This record gives sequence, structure tokens and C-alpha cells, in this order.
Amino acid sequence: MAKTIIDAHNVSKTFNSKTIPVHAVQNVHVHIEEGEFVALVGPSGSGKSTLLNIMGGLDEPTEGTVFIDGVEITKLSENKLIDFRLHNIGFVFQSFNLIPVLSAKENVGFVLQLQHLPKAEREKRVLTLLEEVGLEDKINSKPGELSGGQQQRVAVARALASKPKIILADEPTANLDSKSAANLLDIMAKLNKEEKITFLFSTHDQRVIKKARRVITLVDGKIESDVQQTPT
Amino acid sequence: MLFQIAWRNIWRNKSRSLVVITSISIGVWAGIFILAFIWGLYQNNINESVFKQLSHIQIHHSTFLEESDSKYTISSTNEIINRLEADNRIASVSSRVISTGMISSPTTASGVKIYGINPSAEITQIALNESVKNGSYFDSGKENEVLIGEKLAKKLKIKLKNKVVLTFTNVQSEIVSGAFRVGGIYKTKNISLDGVNVYVQQNYLRELLELDESQSNEIAILVKDEKQLDSIKQFSTTLVSQGKIEDWKELSPELGMIIESFNLYTYILTGIILLALTFGIINTMLMSVLERICELGMLMAIGLNKRKIFLMIMLETFYLTLIGCPIGLLIGWLSVTLLGKIGINIAMFSEGLASYGFNSMIYPSLENENYVIIGVMCLITSVLSAIYPAYKALKLNPSEAIRKI
Repeated sequence: MAKTIIDAHNVSKTFNSKTIPVHAVQNVHVHIEEGEFVALVGPSGSGKSTLLNIMGGLDEPTEGTVFIDGVEITKLSENKLIDFRLHNIGFVFQSFNLIPVLSAKENVGFVLQLQHLPKAEREKRVLTLLEEVGLEDKINSKPGELSGGQQQRVAVARALASKPKIILADEPTANLDSKSAANLLDIMAKLNKEEKITFLFSTHDQRVIKKARRVITLVDGKIESDVQQTPT
Repeated sequence: MLFQIAWRNIWRNKSRSLVVITSISIGVWAGIFILAFIWGLYQNNINESVFKQLSHIQIHHSTFLEESDSKYTISSTNEIINRLEADNRIASVSSRVISTGMISSPTTASGVKIYGINPSAEITQIALNESVKNGSYFDSGKENEVLIGEKLAKKLKIKLKNKVVLTFTNVQSEIVSGAFRVGGIYKTKNISLDGVNVYVQQNYLRELLELDESQSNEIAILVKDEKQLDSIKQFSTTLVSQGKIEDWKELSPELGMIIESFNLYTYILTGIILLALTFGIINTMLMSVLERICELGMLMAIGLNKRKIFLMIMLETFYLTLIGCPIGLLIGWLSVTLLGKIGINIAMFSEGLASYGFNSMIYPSLENENYVIIGVMCLITSVLSAIYPAYKALKLNPSEAIRKI
């Protein structure tokens, strides 16, 4: 039986609770096992990103608990949570969010440097990761010199750098053209299959949804459906 | 890596960083220049006082300055002068016989301080000859010649060659008068003194006061190196019994106070300039933080803790200061060195300045320690200015920050 990697229990998030409350996520239960490739879908404002942020420890739920690999992250102090994210969770954001003053190599190596990995080991891993995402010829390019697809691949390499258990991606293909999106999805699917990394991504991109093996649909902050499917 | 990111971050918006660097440089330069100018002004005042009036050291009878009575004299004047002149640390020595009295012209009278001087000695002592604007400096050889200030001449409505009468008390406490002819009219940078000091031949005044040849009221000493001041004072005590030996700071406490208070001015003035600079830095760094909210959120999300975010913002400000401050110090040093040589002519204010004893040429100068103080204060300012923007960055919630694009 596969190990539980994410266990969100009765999670709710209300914004502006003192004025006009907005219930972004309401009593959500999600149970994700190691190695799953999950798409979190739903219309805009359905609470996908909020739920993803809560499960990634970027946001606190108003109610409920979240366990990642057995650790209750909703109880961790701010600094411990940052450290937990550094070692356990990789993030890929919609707008790439690379450090603009660093090259592709430095962006990927940054996380490893935060983990105090020795330089030689760090450089070796960075080159391997950039090769994996097909950017071995762009290692010294700054984000501004890369296309959107290339930037997002650097972001994936960075997310993978710390050997995380989970990669959370918030609409990773939203700003990409079809070819770059397909390329990115192939890389993510390959990593999921070969390295057993759990992928959870919010999206309303049909190309991404088709690649997922499990699709959780959110509507008005509640889970409307949670289905397994065969990726195409 | 954090140091590298901070360094590269400041060059992301080159024009903004250059504006901050320029502001810091100008602030530091302005601080240095104002202080150097003020110090130059004070130095000017001190030099005018020391070299044209007080000399470095004065020796009096212990009660002369309190009583202002000519009977309190230093004996063996010539012997003391010879001993002092033999000391190669001393630039010049002169003796003076001093009395207070009244000067009368045909139209009016005025209170004066009468200096009986040895004209040749005062050339090297207070360069009195250089101040003579009209007439000559005791060139006639007549013993009843008097040198008076231009201000006093106007007040008495007298001209060169006119006759005046000096009235004073001699050592026997009897009133004596002497008729003098105006041989020269002088004008120094200290107009107030020009209205009260008159100079006559020492031997003639001594005669009128009924003093011995060996008696005088004041011995003035100019030293070659002011660092030797204390040791020369010490040496002088061995020459004079019952004498009071004072340096210019003791003779004119307000001049001493100027020096004492200058360091305080350094802190206050630099503080005010840097305070203005602080708000400039806060504004710029705050803008820099606010426009990078999304990026800072991302850094927190991928594992950069808040302490490091805080350090990064502080480093960015520190780097800007580390560039701007030395530039300001260098420009400040160059302008002070250059203007210290050629001087700043503030002739348009010379009338007003002269009444306070200032010369119209100001030579800015600043001690090296003041550059260090300004540099350190500038660095402290930058660190303090960075705290608020860095604190704002700390308050960011990563998930909210990432959403802000």
C-alpha cells in the first residue's frame, strides 16, 4: 500500500473574516499518496490556488489540519515551516518566479545553497537537473534571456533541486504556448514516473488535466468530484 | 549567494541606485564641506586672534589681568626675553607696557587701552606694521608718536599728524597726561579692537608711568609649533617668579570653547544632513521592496527564511552606502584640500565679519578624524534607514506576496 504524503483534513479558509467573509475553501478533505500525479481543477475563484498554498504551507487554514509525510505543518512555527518547505516541497508558479538577477544555473543552485550542499556536489546536481529539463545549453542565461517555456523548465529544475517529496505547481502552463506546455508536462510526467515524485497542480488547462491520473474538481471552495483516470 | 544577489539587485534599476548613491555622496560631501567651512571660519578667527592680537602665550604679573593696573609688572624683562629668544622652539617674543586711560581730541574723548610697544618686535609678533593704512609705523623716530585705529580716529574726528592727549594713572596712582601726535592709522580685521587699542613707543610710556627700564606688563610669545605650547609654558615658569603664564585658550576662553564645541557641531550638522538622507534611502528602498513583493514571496516559498530576507535588504542599502559614502568622502576631501589652498573669498560679507574678528578669506580645513566620524555616521544611517523597508519585507505573507504581480 502506498504511503500517504498529503493528508488535508477538514480544511477551511475564510478571507476578510471581520468584514465581508469570503469562504475560499470549505471543509475540504484530501488524501494524496506518494507518487500520485494529481490535477486540482475548477473555475476561477473556486479555491484551487488557496488549497494548493495551504497544502504547501504557504498559507494557514482558518480551520483544519494538514499533514505532509506525517508532519502536521499547520502546527509548525514560521521558521520551521520555511525550513520544512526547503527540504520537502518544490514549487512551480504560474509566472515562473525565478530570481531575475541569477542565471539558470544559479537559480537552481540557490535552493541547494540554502541546504548548505558542498559546491562540487551542488554544481553536479544543478547540471544534471538542467539536462533533465533540456536546458544544458542555457545554464548561464538569465531569466530575461529565456523564453516562458524555458523559464518554467528552470523553475521545475529548481523545484526538483532539493529532492522534494512533493512538487506543487500553481497553473504551471497558464503562461506557456502549446508546445512549451506539452514539453513541460512530458518532463513532469517523466519525473513522476521515474523518480516517484508526487505532483499536485492546480489548472484549468485541458492538456494538463488529460495528463493527470487523478482529477480533483473544486467548485466554490468545496470538492465536487475526485476521480481517477487514465492519462492520455 | 545572498551577498551576490543583494549586489546584483542594486543594479537591476541602475538609475534608481545611481540616484541613491548620488544623494549619499552629496550628503556626505555637504556634511564635510559645511564642517570644513565652519572650521576654516573658526580657524580664521583663531589665527586673527592669535597672530594679530593675543600671541600663543602671554606672561603677566599674577594680578595684572585682574586689576588692570600698570604697577603690576614683570621685572627683568630683557633677561627673560633674551632667554626666550635663545630657545629655538620660539618664533618671536615681545614685551609690552600697558595702561588704560583716556584719549582726547579737540572735539571728543574716548576710553582706550594704551600699549607701549617695541615697534620692531611687534612686526614679527602681531604684524602691526601690516595693518597701518595711513601714515607710517613709527618711522618718524619721535617718541610721542601714537598709532590709532581707524574706528577710533573717526570717533575722535582726527586725522594723521593731529595732536591727541593721553591721560592715565602712573604707578604712583597719580594722573598723568601726555601729548601725542598721530603717526599712523591702522585697521585690523577686528574692528572692535581698533576702537580701543592705541600703540605708543614703549620707553616713552614707561617713562610717563614711572616704571624702570626692566619692567613691563606683558611678555608675548609666538611659538613655531603649537604642539610645543605646553612645554614652552612649562619652561617659562622657570623664568618668571610671581608670573601668570597663559596660552591663548586661557586668555580667550571663547576661542577655546569654539574648539571644544566643534566636535559637537560635527555630530549635530552631520546628523541633520544624514537625517534628510535617511528619508531618501527609506523611500527608495521601500519602493524597491514593494515592487519586488512577488519575488520576495517566492524566495520565502522556496525556503529563504525571514532573517535572510531581512539581511538581503539591509545588504542592498549597505552596498549603496558603501559606494556613495567613499565617493562623498573623496569629493569632500578634494574640495576641502583645493579650497583650503586657494581659499574662499567672502568679501561681500567682510564688513560684518570684520566686526567679529573674521578675515574675508576663508580656508576650509578638516581634521582626518572628522572624515572618519562622518563616514561612520553615514554607514550607521544607512543601516538604520534600511530597517523599516527590511521590516516591511518581513511582514510579507508568501502566499499573498506571490499573488501580487
